[in-house]
Amino acid sequence: MKHLARLALALALLLPLGFGSAQRALEDLKIAFLYVGPVGDYGFSYAHDLGRQALVERFPGLETTFVESVPEAEVEPFVDQLIADGHDVVIGTSFGFGDGLLAAAERYPDVIFGHATGIERAPNVFTFMADFWQVYYLNGLVAGALSETGTIGYVAAFPIPEVKRHINAFAIGAREVNPDAVVDVRWLYAWFDPAGAQEATQALMSEGADVFAFTEDTPTVIQVAATRGFPSFSHYASMLPFSPETVASGQLVNWDAILIDVVEKILDGTYAAGNLADVDYFWGLGEEAVEAGAEPGMLINPAYEAQLRAAVLDHPEFGEISVYDLVERRLEQMSVLPAEFEPFTGPLRDRKGNLVYAEGVSATLGELLGMEWAAENVRGPWDGEP
Amino acid sequence: MDVDVLVVATVARALAFATPLLWAALGEVIAERSGVVNLGVEGMMALGAVTGFAVAFTTGDVWWGLAAAGLAGMAGSALHAFVAITLRADAYVSGLSLTMLGLGLSALIGRAWVGRPLPDPMRTVDVPWLRDLPLLGPMLFQGQYVLTYAALLAAVVAWALLFHTRGGLVLRSVGENPTAVDAAGLHVRPVRYAAVLIGGLLAGIGGGYLSLAYRPSWGEGMVNGLGWIALALAIFAMWHPLRVVLAGLLFGACFTLAFRLQTVFPPELLTMLPYAFTVLALVFTAWRRGRHAFGAPEALGRPYLRGER
Repeated sequence: MKHLARLALALALLLPLGFGSAQRALEDLKIAFLYVGPVGDYGFSYAHDLGRQALVERFPGLETTFVESVPEAEVEPFVDQLIADGHDVVIGTSFGFGDGLLAAAERYPDVIFGHATGIERAPNVFTFMADFWQVYYLNGLVAGALSETGTIGYVAAFPIPEVKRHINAFAIGAREVNPDAVVDVRWLYAWFDPAGAQEATQALMSEGADVFAFTEDTPTVIQVAATRGFPSFSHYASMLPFSPETVASGQLVNWDAILIDVVEKILDGTYAAGNLADVDYFWGLGEEAVEAGAEPGMLINPAYEAQLRAAVLDHPEFGEISVYDLVERRLEQMSVLPAEFEPFTGPLRDRKGNLVYAEGVSATLGELLGMEWAAENVRGPWDGEP
Repeated sequence: MDVDVLVVATVARALAFATPLLWAALGEVIAERSGVVNLGVEGMMALGAVTGFAVAFTTGDVWWGLAAAGLAGMAGSALHAFVAITLRADAYVSGLSLTMLGLGLSALIGRAWVGRPLPDPMRTVDVPWLRDLPLLGPMLFQGQYVLTYAALLAAVVAWALLFHTRGGLVLRSVGENPTAVDAAGLHVRPVRYAAVLIGGLLAGIGGGYLSLAYRPSWGEGMVNGLGWIALALAIFAMWHPLRVVLAGLLFGACFTLAFRLQTVFPPELLTMLPYAFTVLALVFTAWRRGRHAFGAPEALGRPYLRGER
């Protein structure tokens, strides 16, 4: 280990000599972040800012700025100002920033642009995404085992492929441990709607749901579920403090994993404005851009450990195994690169009965990104269902 | 689900959702009855929510938090009263400024409280005796927060005060014809001040309900438009406290049914309905010329200056 560290140190010292020309100094780099919401939302923008802070911690001396609550359609004037202030990297963290960032990128060909959750790239625009589909599948395993009624509630934001992919992965996990489990979905048509999340959860409860997952930027669903003692899952940031006894697991993001990689590659000259057209991050568990857990380091809340260890099933791949162990095994399989397990692997049917993936066939990246179908055990409305 | 179960659950959830709307709308009805529009409801609610949370978190007592919430709302409204009544500036502009100020200030104050749960939030309770009423018991008097029951009571009290006391008569007269009130030897401005401050107090309490009971936490954007819905509610109720309760239940029912009936009914339609109702109410009041008959105070939004007609 010591030798390895020394070797790494030696290499690090040598590197600058090798790539002298394209390399950039840390002091010359100024990175600006544009957030769609307030960093005080304790959700999406909050998580992005944690990533920015971790980036600065990793590269002491790196200069960063952020602008919060940037209106999606008016991103360009913000970019103009930030570049006038000397920023050489501009990172926008909302899908809706796309058009504005691409237009600005054309006007500033020497500036590097990053677009989180984006799909379109340019020579100086890269896209990146830390995706939860694998983690939602793991949470689905937990939810399927914890539900007594067999009805699992899901409070969802918008019926877009990203959210549909997460609901499906969650439902596939639930079904793997409980063939009768259904995932009942209610849509908020908003990323941020605490009152809606409250009432949607109440509605799901009266439909018999007794475990809850969600895509919404506040801990509301967790708090409401906890009033009846029902388990739920952290979303984006650790929401364990809001109900230490009932947050069973969850999906957590480490945007810094991607940001650190980007900055390293800018510094060593791999990335430059002009060669980014094919740089697209879609990182998951293997790259440690996301994590499963109620809070970092707590894969499963100890409050539910006994129940999940007692839930033993006859698994086609692992034989007799407890759900607790199954979660750990699946996590191991998906934490390596390339992943040894893909949740979207056939035989899989959609809820209309069509075969989506035949035995042994897995979803491609493109199919994950464009997912519209609903898994067999998903209930509730589903806009754009093929 | 059985129909009666659905109805009971819908009314109960409608009431829980509508509670902050009731508080804020009652406050707005009182302020507007005196002739002062206050578009700052959203901002006052945000101030109430963040202050209430901070105080409840620090003292460990939600009731201190609630008092602070009310006072914070009141402080916001005092600013509006000064600008709109004393300085006689445009009340609409002043109210809008109060909303923006309140939202910004609450975000600033709230930085330290983001992501922190309230250790000892408000608990739900049943109303003794009333809880056993058939149908009405489970609809209105079970499993809600004290603030919800208090909102119903506040509506009755506001109605009694506005329509059955001399003070209420004066307040309404100030909103209808301040010149006449002035000529009768009564002061217009103190009455308007009082009405606006009470409005701020109630809006602050509405905000406190959000951060202390409904969702015991603080997050930027917590009020999320409820202040604007409360303004619409005050108009839809045609400035009548008891109609505020009915209108609030209707708004709340639309909101909660949007989730309950999502499988069979387009949710966008239901969430849109309250606003459609409000527009209809406006059309209705405008169409019937003698608009005071329907509640809109004649002098609403007009600053009062002695000697000016």
